[in-house]
Amino acid sequence: MKYILLMSSTQTGVSGYHKWSQSDRDIHMQALGAIVKGLVESGEFVATQGLAEPKEAKVVRGERSGLPITDGVFPEAKEFLLGYWIVDVATPERACAIAGKISAAPGPGGIPTNMAIEVRQFAARGDTN
Amino acid sequence: MKYILMMNTMRAGAGVPAWPRADLQAHIAFMHGVNRDLREAGEWVASEGLSFPDQARLVRAGKNGAPVTDGVFPESKEFLAGFWIVDVDSPERAYAIAARVSAAPGPGGEPLNMPIEVRPIMSAPPQEML
Repeated sequence: MKYILLMSSTQTGVSGYHKWSQSDRDIHMQALGAIVKGLVESGEFVATQGLAEPKEAKVVRGERSGLPITDGVFPEAKEFLLGYWIVDVATPERACAIAGKISAAPGPGGIPTNMAIEVRQFAARGDTN
Repeated sequence: MKYILMMNTMRAGAGVPAWPRADLQAHIAFMHGVNRDLREAGEWVASEGLSFPDQARLVRAGKNGAPVTDGVFPESKEFLAGFWIVDVDSPERAYAIAARVSAAPGPGGEPLNMPIEVRPIMSAPPQEML
């Protein structure tokens, strides 16, 4: 079963990350890299992506004519997706265990960030939704 | 350049929309048409629909790295319903695709005009993650 693990934060959280020291950032990325390596080795890895900064985000609606109306203004509290991992695992518990490992990735001073990771299963093909 | 188009339209507790079956089918057919056109244009990279928010869990690492799960979300939280990743020549093209998705038909065939969040994907993952 396929799950997506979503890492989100607000603009305030993203600005905080930019204040981390370079070595803290390196250690954080190395820990995330090791998690991906482990998933590749166990055959559970499907995909991962990091997204560009929230300031580059736009929200688009279609006009009646189908023309796009774009807006780049978001409420302060809006959560932005920072990145995701797609995994193919045997159980929901395994998906949550992987999310726990990601949440425990070290932050400043090596302290786990304990970021909340949203875990969602993919809709089955042929679903009525 | 790669963009992700995110349909953040679900709220906590949401399930299958209570639309007439014919309207649901028209909506799905429309989305299939979008995907088919993107594939033919060579712009399709990936698209997925997610299960409904009642199955979402929030996970944090507890002591010793054990996962602590929670399924309680604030009512105002936006849930990702699905996404598309497209590889296009310009941001304007990504916005045009988002507008088409936004105008997917809802009840009675009326365009939903859903907000679609459009974000560039980092051109390559950081070397440390490979």
